[in-house]
Amino acid sequence: MKSKERMVIILFLLPWIISFGLFTFYPLFFSILVSFTNYTGLKPSLEFVSMNNYTRAFSDKVFLTALKNTFLFVIITVPITTVISLFLGILLTSGIRFKRIFQAGYFLPSVISMVVISMVWLYIYSATGPLNLFLTKLGFSVPTQSWLASTKTALGSIMVMDIWSALGYYTVLYVAGLQSIPTELYEAAKIDGATKWQTIRRITLPLLKPTTLFVISINSIRSFQIFTEIFTLTGGGPANSTQTIVHYLYDVSFRKFEMGYGSAVAYILFLIIMIITLIQRKLLKGEKL
Amino acid sequence: MKIFVYSILTVFLFISLFPTFMMFITSFVPEGDLFNRTLVKTVTDFEVPRTVLLNRVRPLNTNLNLLKEENNTFFRLEAKVDFSGIAPSLGSSDINRIKYIRFRIRNQDPIIFRIGFKDIRERIEYFTERILETDADWKTIDVKLDVRKLSIDVLHISQLRIEVSGQGYVDIDDIAFINKYPTLYNFLKVLRDDYFGRYLLNSTIVSVSSVLGNLFFCSMVAYVFARKQFRFKELLFSIVLSTMMIPPQVTIIPTFILMRKIGLIDTYWALILPNLVTPFGIFLMRQYIEQLPVELDNAAYVDGANNFQIFWYILLPLSKPALAVLGINTFVLTWNDLFYPLILTTSRQMRTIQVGLALYQKLNVFTWPTLMAASTIAGIPIIIVFLIFEKKIISGILEGAIKS
Repeated sequence: MKSKERMVIILFLLPWIISFGLFTFYPLFFSILVSFTNYTGLKPSLEFVSMNNYTRAFSDKVFLTALKNTFLFVIITVPITTVISLFLGILLTSGIRFKRIFQAGYFLPSVISMVVISMVWLYIYSATGPLNLFLTKLGFSVPTQSWLASTKTALGSIMVMDIWSALGYYTVLYVAGLQSIPTELYEAAKIDGATKWQTIRRITLPLLKPTTLFVISINSIRSFQIFTEIFTLTGGGPANSTQTIVHYLYDVSFRKFEMGYGSAVAYILFLIIMIITLIQRKLLKGEKL
Repeated sequence: MKIFVYSILTVFLFISLFPTFMMFITSFVPEGDLFNRTLVKTVTDFEVPRTVLLNRVRPLNTNLNLLKEENNTFFRLEAKVDFSGIAPSLGSSDINRIKYIRFRIRNQDPIIFRIGFKDIRERIEYFTERILETDADWKTIDVKLDVRKLSIDVLHISQLRIEVSGQGYVDIDDIAFINKYPTLYNFLKVLRDDYFGRYLLNSTIVSVSSVLGNLFFCSMVAYVFARKQFRFKELLFSIVLSTMMIPPQVTIIPTFILMRKIGLIDTYWALILPNLVTPFGIFLMRQYIEQLPVELDNAAYVDGANNFQIFWYILLPLSKPALAVLGINTFVLTWNDLFYPLILTTSRQMRTIQVGLALYQKLNVFTWPTLMAASTIAGIPIIIVFLIFEKKIISGILEGAIKS
């Protein structure tokens, strides 16, 4: 009976065990191994190169540019997205009508695939596209080429697009966070004669701290992994001005087939993400969403 | 104050929806783009120097005889019993978008005119032949074109031919095409030029299989985590949760190598297998099954049901709300994914719609309307799913948020 029960448990767990073993556990460790070799997907020979791939990364100008761009991307987009979505969340929960329609409307861009969104913004940013048309109508002078074709504007343009596409998702998280704040608190504040601004500062914001931490950390993790929009819009160019960690990883591993070096880049990314997660865990400790 | 809130919300709503809306509208534009639609396309108005014109139009059975009248240049020919006329060159054009052929004409005597096309294989086909009564004034003639009735290669047309027969002078000017608007042609064009139909099929196969796999396997694993007691249960479950944190980029290289070794690269299996059991699904289903009353299991057990029967006949039917959330979210995620299919497929026939779309733009000469049509094809299934299941998708997001 006992052993039969154990068999049943193992049988039910089997799909996960296999999938975990093949697609998580094995790759995770194989990756570490590969990152210490000069493995290329092309020839079967394999040589142990110790830390070379890691030291190479930190002297590789393109990788350092990618690192810089990715950090810039996170540092700029995450706070802006957070502030706007908090703002929208507060407006949405202020007892307005048609809340669901607004919320669904904001959310729509975040279910549409990034490839599709990129195509639409490729058109918006193009030399004769809607953005330039609009700016010309307002009397501004506009670049004669696409916004994505200049080293000065490419990364910024992708950031704007990213903020636009991510906004709805985080707004929904904030709405959920705001709705979990007990209404009695607001009523008590009202009786005490608090102004709207005071209520937000003293009640809403402190109680939203877990939501905010969560929003910031998942958005940072997502932004560190930014790939699709770079791949579809600029391919890392012009002159590596939009190169990011994951796009560089793709370039190195699947265009140049330097998979050993690619794995090292992947592990550096993994490390960054681990650190963010740990910081978030630490800050969130004991607080409930 | 209220009005202020509503106006801010509305402005943001507009910003959120406008790009998507623009994508839709642009995909129905025949040529140009949304704000510069080419609805009337001038073929020739004879206003360019004669030498330039000679490269663009060819007189048929006559000379290129140009006349000028009050700053307007036009083409004059003397009608004969045989057909003679003018043939503007079109290079190798696709005439599917054209609704009417428009030109201005003036004739001294009654004539018969006919209009046709020549394709790049030098085949000529006329699609209309009409009698035109005498008229000393210019008049505009629109000739309706039904492409489906033509048997020549309508994708590669090299010449438009306007010919007349009869007598007296005939003047022709301002030859233009009137495009269909709105048109579905951009969709047909992308479906035909690239393998978008195939991409859609691939995406559907991969997404539906992943959804079914997740529904079945995740709830199976979740059942054990929710209902059984065994050693290392909590440890295993925390491993499940922590795998959610691992970025797919870290595992992709070994997964690629593995798939190549076992010969699954560029097959559906490569795209489906890694997605069959997801930690999010296990987590979601465990949460749900845990709060179903255990008495149900016990009652079934007393009635002699085994574990699988309890799982299949009792718990699974009761878990429909959670299964719906899981199914929809898995569908959206798999459908939208670019990274995995980009790396794990190599041939054109195996690309998913996202890969197809991303590479369509990179590898083809595209126009904005066709690119937007391709984007609409890739985006519309998810937009429809969202409009139907908006509540479920959002609750899936929140469910996912709380776990972390």
